[in-house]
Amino acid sequence: MGMKCEVSNCENEATVHLTEIREGKKHEMHLCERCAAEKGLPGKSHFSISDLLAGIASQAQQQAQKPKRGKEAACPVCTTTLTQFQSSGRFGCPECYTTFKEDVLGLVEKIHDAAQHVGKVPKRVSSEISLQKDLRQLQLDLKRAVRKEDYEKAAAIRDQIRQMEEKVKAEESQAQADAPALPKPATPPVPPPGHGKKKTDGGEKK
Amino acid sequence: MIKSSGEWMRGTGPEAEIVISSRVRLARNIRGFRFITKMDATERGSCETLIQNAILDAKIAQPNMYMPLHKSEGLDRKFLVERHLISKEHEDAQHHRGVAIGENEAVAIMVNEEDHIRLQVLQSGFQLPEAWKICNRIDDELEQRLEYSFSPQLGYLTACPTNVGTGMRVSVMLHLPALVLTRHIEKVFQAVGKINLAVRGLYGEGTEASGHFYQISNQVTLGRTEDEIVKNVQDVIPTIVGYEHRARQSLLSKDRKRLEDRVWCAYGMLKYKHVLPSDEAMMLLSAVRMGVHLGLIKDLSLRTVNELFIFTQPAHLQKLTGRALEPMERDIKRADFVRAKLAQCKH
Repeated sequence: MGMKCEVSNCENEATVHLTEIREGKKHEMHLCERCAAEKGLPGKSHFSISDLLAGIASQAQQQAQKPKRGKEAACPVCTTTLTQFQSSGRFGCPECYTTFKEDVLGLVEKIHDAAQHVGKVPKRVSSEISLQKDLRQLQLDLKRAVRKEDYEKAAAIRDQIRQMEEKVKAEESQAQADAPALPKPATPPVPPPGHGKKKTDGGEKK
Repeated sequence: MIKSSGEWMRGTGPEAEIVISSRVRLARNIRGFRFITKMDATERGSCETLIQNAILDAKIAQPNMYMPLHKSEGLDRKFLVERHLISKEHEDAQHHRGVAIGENEAVAIMVNEEDHIRLQVLQSGFQLPEAWKICNRIDDELEQRLEYSFSPQLGYLTACPTNVGTGMRVSVMLHLPALVLTRHIEKVFQAVGKINLAVRGLYGEGTEASGHFYQISNQVTLGRTEDEIVKNVQDVIPTIVGYEHRARQSLLSKDRKRLEDRVWCAYGMLKYKHVLPSDEAMMLLSAVRMGVHLGLIKDLSLRTVNELFIFTQPAHLQKLTGRALEPMERDIKRADFVRAKLAQCKH
């Protein structure tokens, strides 16, 4: 049990804790939800971030105790560990989201009840995403052409892919400089023409 | 700035008698930099310069309205907190950081707060979509000049995962004295809690609801579009405003004499007191503000009352006086200031 509500004659547990810095002095209040409401103070919010972080912490400790014998995993860019994150509630760098992906996704889902961003996308990123989408489409087309042994077309597509890859690389190197960038999906190498599988079925039309 | 007041204090805008202001803020971080807690002094300095240049280049603020806070006086920082232009955390931090303030104080960009960029737009009254529109436009301007840390899955990456995704916090500041007096304020908290919104005091997280001011804001930042987040908060406000209106009317019809007594006593105290502590000033001004809205007090404007709430805060009083004041001196200055201001209003 935690502390009791500070209102006299109230026996309830204090669940609303308020700290106010007023004129340089710290004022603390510990009340139960009912007394807090009577005083016109906001009650406890519907979820507590510290509870969630505590959940992550116990996971982190379990992981640390696993017979890995090594140190707890740390972010390669900023050296933040999961335990550090738990005590501060803050990550050290964007890369932490990748380093601790599994734990992060679980936590993020608990907080937001979602794990996929659907809001605004920076224009630069949206053009990058569409470029990569085009690239993936071209690679599919290339495979298809190779399968059909249409090497002339395959060579043309391959050139187009190379051009686009160079464009992506140029953009990346310009933007990245010293960035701990987010990993991008690697582009599979273009198979040389004539190395493709034999036609398996006639399912696809030109 | 000490002589002027921000756009949001004007007491204009829709539902201004109950909705003080509408605010939208976005959290952004610059790709290639670690988050604040892991940055060394050099990194913080270069991050600040990069953002400062982008802000000035985009003409979001005049060059003299970018304030490097690590070089500023403590009192100036407190003043900015009272104006809702920087957070308490930003006031207290030690490292390289700043704030850019746009015209009418409607736009403020904190640099190197918990995230590299905290962009806020404050509007008077109930104007959330307008605030979001301005905020979005400024974000576009900055995005052309800076590369944000962004993941296609998790959106804008922020130091704390509670902000990840849109990085967006939408909040509305409400004045709800009648709901407190009629003891119905709890209903508001229940209604708001059910739809994943948070209620906070006047100066944000962890502050007391002094002067019967409450901030309603979203908690979820991921998995919804910015428009949906705005709508979620937008939709609940008319209900709360409706409750407050009804509570005010019921006080008027069922308990008029006691209400008049409360309002006029408060007004009288403000007019004649010679020592006025901050808490007391907030409570008295709250009653007077309600009296102005209900037409009981006819010679005061909402704007004057709104300004009194802010100008009687400790740092404002000290800036007005031009020097640091002891608490007792402040209480005297506060009373002097309020008396002088109210004497200007015709009775």
